[in-house]
Amino acid sequence: MRRLRIEGVTGLLRKLRDRVSGALRGRGSPRARKAGLRIAFFTPALLLIMLFVAYPVLTTIGVSFFDANGRFVGLGNYQQVLGSPDTINLNGFPKPPPYGTLINNAVWIAIHLPLSMFLGLWLALVLREVRGSSWVKTAIFIGMVTPLIIGGIMMLYIYDGSIGVVPRFFDAIGIHSLGVGWLQRPTTLLFGLIFGSVWLWTGFSMIVYSAGLTTIPKEYWEAAKIDGTPTFRTFTQITFPLLKPMTIVVFTMSILYELKIFDLVYGATNPQGGVGGAADVLALQMFREAFVQLPADYGTAAAVATFLSLLTLTATVMTIRYMVKR
Amino acid sequence: MAGSSVGEGAPGESTERYRPPSGRSKLIIIVVALLVVTNVVTGLTAFYLAQPPVAVTPLCGTGASVRSASVSTSGDIGASGDASPVFTVHFAPPYRTTQATITLIGPWAGSEFDHFKPVLENFTTSTGIPVTYQQMRQEQLQQVLPADFATQTAPGDVIFMTSSFIKANGPQHMIKVNANISDSDFLPGSLDPVKVGSDIYGGVYTGKVKPGFWYRKSFFQAHNLTVPTTYAEFKSLLVTISKIKGIRTPIVSGDSVGWPLSDVTEHFIATYGGASMHRALTNGTKRWTDTDVRAVFADRLVPLLAGGCFSEPLEWNTVALANWWGGLHALYFMGSWITGLVDNATDLGVFSLPPPTGTTTGIVFGGDYFFVPKYTTHQTEALILLKYLASKDGQTIQVKQGGHIATALGVPLSDYPTVDRGVAQLMNGVVILSDLDDTIGGTFQTNFWSQLQLLWVSPNQLDSVLAAIQAKMPAS
Repeated sequence: MRRLRIEGVTGLLRKLRDRVSGALRGRGSPRARKAGLRIAFFTPALLLIMLFVAYPVLTTIGVSFFDANGRFVGLGNYQQVLGSPDTINLNGFPKPPPYGTLINNAVWIAIHLPLSMFLGLWLALVLREVRGSSWVKTAIFIGMVTPLIIGGIMMLYIYDGSIGVVPRFFDAIGIHSLGVGWLQRPTTLLFGLIFGSVWLWTGFSMIVYSAGLTTIPKEYWEAAKIDGTPTFRTFTQITFPLLKPMTIVVFTMSILYELKIFDLVYGATNPQGGVGGAADVLALQMFREAFVQLPADYGTAAAVATFLSLLTLTATVMTIRYMVKR
Repeated sequence: MAGSSVGEGAPGESTERYRPPSGRSKLIIIVVALLVVTNVVTGLTAFYLAQPPVAVTPLCGTGASVRSASVSTSGDIGASGDASPVFTVHFAPPYRTTQATITLIGPWAGSEFDHFKPVLENFTTSTGIPVTYQQMRQEQLQQVLPADFATQTAPGDVIFMTSSFIKANGPQHMIKVNANISDSDFLPGSLDPVKVGSDIYGGVYTGKVKPGFWYRKSFFQAHNLTVPTTYAEFKSLLVTISKIKGIRTPIVSGDSVGWPLSDVTEHFIATYGGASMHRALTNGTKRWTDTDVRAVFADRLVPLLAGGCFSEPLEWNTVALANWWGGLHALYFMGSWITGLVDNATDLGVFSLPPPTGTTTGIVFGGDYFFVPKYTTHQTEALILLKYLASKDGQTIQVKQGGHIATALGVPLSDYPTVDRGVAQLMNGVVILSDLDDTIGGTFQTNFWSQLQLLWVSPNQLDSVLAAIQAKMPAS
């Protein structure tokens, strides 16, 4: 039986080799040559994907069904993660943070996505065809090339109660309740990081939208101007619809960024998400279970990772399908 | 918006004559508008989200912990710690040797490594064993070592690591060293954190004491302040300091990921709950929510936090240190390594919290622990280095450099720099305790830090903080 199976695999491989070599040497029918070439080009990429993407993903999913002692627990790790106050903590709401990692990630999306997207779009529009605007765009884009871990450490100082520029600004204008260390208070910590991240991430949407604006023929706007179309209507009827491909890119990339946010929070706080865990996020929770917990609980970490991947995948697929359909 | 930037061409004109609008004034308006809009949006949003300060009767002045005045930092702070994330230095004896080179992984870089260098130089010279020192932070090692161990490899032959990690992984992945070092050669209890039963899985190098509140002698002299001997005197001292012109808060709270706050808390527990309470909390036989534990917080620490005696948490080795050294605060709770961080260590004084009569108090001592992995290919040489680092000879060289306290018995007090000698003397007559959160480790530690950060700014949340700390205690 085993011998038969080996012979079967060997035969298949031989057949594949013959097809590929035949195609490369120009032998065989055109159809066979085409198939052979497809296999020749497709196989290396497939092998790499299997090795570096499929295998780790499947292993992670597999690990998520076992506990820290290697016992099979089915969906136990998922139950544990979703039932943990670290993930969702709304008991007694309304109440001060922490609200849990899942809620915090949702807050990231709710605030960071529209702010960074529309700020980038607005900047791209107002800086279009303005002399010297490339300097402003470059300055704004610097945030994008700054490593996020460095961005997190910068937040430590920007929001520091003693020397931070943000608290000093609010103190100077008389809003003393904000003239304190933002990262030291659970109520301002998460929002401080989100606003700081908007500053770093806006450069991305601005550049993508700026590139998009260059692809729109000027004649459209000129025609609208000649017809006396109001500025806002020009924007809603011409500019924004024509920027749809850019919006898809910015929207999708921003959601991915917000779901997997880790380094900025880690750099600015600690592995627990700062004061009282108020800025804790899913990626940090995963890191903690795998690399802080003693002994490491890879099962729970893998469950968080799988859950995070599912969220990311769902968000991406839904966004793209919705936008492309429309 | 989009239409506004379309050219001024009249109807019917050719598009070739279209000229984009330009002008510096527009650019300036855009930049100003951008700044105004982002600041106003950020400000208004955050304003409505901000928590109103807790109304309390301040013990220390005006409750300045939630306010801050203009900054004046001193520029005379010494270099501090890690200059780069990773670096490697090779030590070879000044003569030809056939010995195999071993790799030592330690946490020190910068000036701290400069103080460690003579120890390794002496080792290679006296044994002929070349050593490659590689700096890696223990947080990095915590991520790397489990994967290495799973493949039965190790990044070094001798590795400095947290005691909780050594204890958790010792039996599976580390060499038992009972034959190489003995309990009787060290300060009592020093090796406990790396023991599993009676098996010892690591050595202890020198350590740092967290003795109490540091002050500048010149500041105390200038303002006629004296070291308190009772808790009433301590509170009175804080009130007096808070009235000194230029003082923001009497005590500055150093913070990073939360650990300096945990040191302060442990000092309060070890002093007012006693050494036994500290030990019981460490080994899990007492709960954080127990009445007597809560009383230490509620009666001693929380009133000082709520009364504005502590500053809000500030980055410990830059802002907090500079502000304290520059006279914005009078007291700073920190470990003995502070002597290597200030410009003039002879101006430093330190006192512990005055203990109540009849309580056996303790001082937290954080030893630097190391182990030899089972997977070393140079076991003999690695164990020689382990023995040397744990020995009186090796530690004597280290303490001479300052900032370290020996764990090996027999290091003469005369070998310590003056300020460290004072610290070593503070340890007389008190119980030596292991650092609580380092010993427990894991997610308890990070949660403990975060909850204390919360307590510092919201002392009215004491009960929920203690409950959250207890919730992450590992099952014993």
